[in-house]
Amino acid sequence: MGQVEARSAPGAQHAADERPSEPALIEAAHVTAGYDNRREHTRLIALRDVSLQVRRGEFLAIVGPSGCGKTTFINLIAGFVKPLEGSVRVRGEEVTGPGADRAMVFQDYALLPWRTVERNIRFAMENRRGHVPKAEQAERAARALRLVGLTGFEKSYPHELSGGMRQRVGIARALVTEPEILLMDEPFGAVDAMTREAMQAELEKIIAETRQTVVFITHSIDEAILLADRIVVISKRPGTIREVIDVDLPRPRFDEQSDVQRSPRFGEIRSHLWSLLADEALGAKQEGATR
Amino acid sequence: MTETIQSPARTDGQQIETIEVSKFARFKSVGITVVNLTIFFTIWELVARAEVINSLFFPRATDMFAALFNGFADGTIWPQLSHSLTNFLIGLAISAVIGIPVGLLMGASKVADLILSPYVWAMTSLPRVALIPLLILIMGFGNSMQLTIIVLSAVFPIMVNCMAGVKTVEPSLVRAGVVFGASRPQIYLKVILPYTLPFVISGVNQGIARGLVGMLIGELLGGGGNGLGFLLDRAGEQFDAPMLYATLILLAVMSVGLVQAMRWLEQRAAPWRDISRA
Repeated sequence: MGQVEARSAPGAQHAADERPSEPALIEAAHVTAGYDNRREHTRLIALRDVSLQVRRGEFLAIVGPSGCGKTTFINLIAGFVKPLEGSVRVRGEEVTGPGADRAMVFQDYALLPWRTVERNIRFAMENRRGHVPKAEQAERAARALRLVGLTGFEKSYPHELSGGMRQRVGIARALVTEPEILLMDEPFGAVDAMTREAMQAELEKIIAETRQTVVFITHSIDEAILLADRIVVISKRPGTIREVIDVDLPRPRFDEQSDVQRSPRFGEIRSHLWSLLADEALGAKQEGATR
Repeated sequence: MTETIQSPARTDGQQIETIEVSKFARFKSVGITVVNLTIFFTIWELVARAEVINSLFFPRATDMFAALFNGFADGTIWPQLSHSLTNFLIGLAISAVIGIPVGLLMGASKVADLILSPYVWAMTSLPRVALIPLLILIMGFGNSMQLTIIVLSAVFPIMVNCMAGVKTVEPSLVRAGVVFGASRPQIYLKVILPYTLPFVISGVNQGIARGLVGMLIGELLGGGGNGLGFLLDRAGEQFDAPMLYATLILLAVMSVGLVQAMRWLEQRAAPWRDISRA
């Protein structure tokens, strides 16, 4: 951790409190990742030399300009993408592919449109990996639906639900097998602003109950501050870690009384993040102009 | 005709209004169709009676119906109709059995696509009539040649549609399958196949249209002496205009019936589709 902070985040406001006794749940070491374009014989480097540790039970948000490799990072953890250099380890074991210990929530929900809500959630339990005995499936699905507040919609089809409700189904599907790690790729990017805020509050409540480790990608600075324990700022492509920021705001943050959004500390973190990301946006623009 | 009545608010806060619909609304479209067809045949009859056009080419509607009735009564139509229909349905079934798996394979495997697509596209665009001399040479006049031309007409559109279906599966659905533990066969069975189903049906739909053409070509040019095509051919040679028109009407009814059946099936197979695209 200290290594990351020292090399790529000289301006970090707070050193993450390290507990060397407890090994990191997810550990990325000097990861470089990219995509080959075989037709043009080129390779696009999406992430360069990224080292990062995620602790058990932590809520980590990743922010950065579009195309900075945020999604690549989450895909590395999910096991969709293999690093060109370096390694990604979960519980000390190298990630070689998707596993039942990691579930994902997609920006476009990725629900099967021909299945009802309940059968979409059962999908996570009926396949070869992470299979749950049939007798247990119904009960688990009901519990997951209760968790996301969708009891009574078991027999609805995704196209009959609003965007926010669809993503609740997506979250329930990811949580139903009780994975250790929840990967969320801009989960609220496609829902409207009002629903978004309600979903954030709900997510905080759910995670407080289920205690998952979360890696959460977002475009929204406010969303990152409100949800995360730590925020990783990634620079534009090829993505490197610019800074890791501790969010030391008290929880629960969506409590009516706490009003975290108006606290001075919230404002500080927010303006710091803004200046970091404005740099990135400006840098991208200047580069575009000189080209 | 219609008016709305406000019902008392329900306990769950949802406002459901009952609307009163006229009893006849359900029969409206049927009624319009009946009136429409009646007018059509009446005008036909009147034009024919006025003898503006030579009755050799344009018989009266009543003569046409008489020919249709007599044809069924004396057994000239039914054997030919059943021959065509049986042939067509068998040909379509064979096309589906070959076309669907091969199309799915082409969508799923790049290698299969590269190997097969030149032939598939050549056969899809080649006018079917061009094959008739060759097929007659190989199989002679008869049933197997008629069946072959139906299959050759219907199988390629089915193949191409199935391939397109597999290729347009949303990548995030496949990724969700991978994340949630599905093996490769499970992804095919639970994600790709259901997603492709509407494409399969529209492929079969196109297969029907093309297959009907193939059926007629085979019967008209194949000289097998049976089928609706043969009826058409013979009626033409004998200057039997009422019979000619009666056969055409039968063909129209047959193809409209098949297409409607497929449409019904399409709505059953993917009710989520048109709503989610709206």
